[in-house]
Amino acid sequence: MTRQEIEQEVKNVFHREFEIENPDMDADLRETYEFDSIDAIELLLAIENFLSTEISQEEKKQAINIRTINQICDYIEKIAKQRNLFSPA
Amino acid sequence: MPLVRFFQRIPDLLVTLILWCYFLFGYLFILPLLFIPAYIFAENGAAALQNLNHFHLKCFFALTRFLVPRTTFKISKDVRDIHSSVIVCNHLSYLDPILLISLFGRHRTIVKHTFFKVPIFGRLLKNSGYISSGARDMLGPAMINNLEDIKKHLAEGGILFVFPEGTRSRDGRLAPFNKGVFTIARYCNAPLKLVFINGTNRLFPPGHFLFNTHEFNEIKLELIGSLEPDYKGNNFSISSVADETRKIFEEKG
Repeated sequence: MTRQEIEQEVKNVFHREFEIENPDMDADLRETYEFDSIDAIELLLAIENFLSTEISQEEKKQAINIRTINQICDYIEKIAKQRNLFSPA
Repeated sequence: MPLVRFFQRIPDLLVTLILWCYFLFGYLFILPLLFIPAYIFAENGAAALQNLNHFHLKCFFALTRFLVPRTTFKISKDVRDIHSSVIVCNHLSYLDPILLISLFGRHRTIVKHTFFKVPIFGRLLKNSGYISSGARDMLGPAMINNLEDIKKHLAEGGILFVFPEGTRSRDGRLAPFNKGVFTIARYCNAPLKLVFINGTNRLFPPGHFLFNTHEFNEIKLELIGSLEPDYKGNNFSISSVADETRKIFEEKG
């Protein structure tokens, strides 16, 4: 899995679940797209599916205050690296 | 016929006073004597409070059946047998949540956050494991803790009932669905049971203070669908599950 694949999958999730196309990678999700905590949980579950791995309670708590899509990608990359799923492009 | 209407209202008023007195006095004076020891000494305080609440409201509906014989209750066995599931219902009257509590000993639900501010009652709600709809209670790590609690509760055989419309329907039509309930079900990997409620709005109409005791009425709870979405599937989408659920309710309504 590469950073590019991660970014593409996050964009797919945004399109599929939140009907947002070409989201701004650095925009504040709460302010720009009116994201709430339930949306954040939805995103976490989509990430679990994408990585085919269970995310622990502690890891989920770390993710809940993420603000931007770039931060989401960083978070996925970190988890993927911890589980040896990440390969640099 | 204002005179006839006036005389019709007298039993309505009497029944309303008796029922709400039982409801309120139970919470204020009788149940605290049981709630406090149950919460302190029971192994699972929240479960003990849920069971007491369930018993209190079961008595409330037994009293309702006795005082309002023109209203009958038809609750199918497949509704009574639901466990370890998220129940999705339409919402017609204030009676809906208390009717569901009277049916399920181990239950949880999402309660309007303003109720949590009511002295004593708010505390009881919190200690019973009910979840506030307030944004502050569903933020950050508290959100994950709440969801993990619900997951455990469902795994132990309990149910979570939710009204995705968020508020009572004034005209019987379905309001837009909030998708949060489907996210909770997905988080808990729980099946969805769709329960259609009918008739509670005729016994206790929204916007009215009095029970309607003079009309013949049937309150019916029916299981109209069971969904077990493939939450882990690559093409899983919350929106599709929400749409499918809504379609089943619309077909029924």
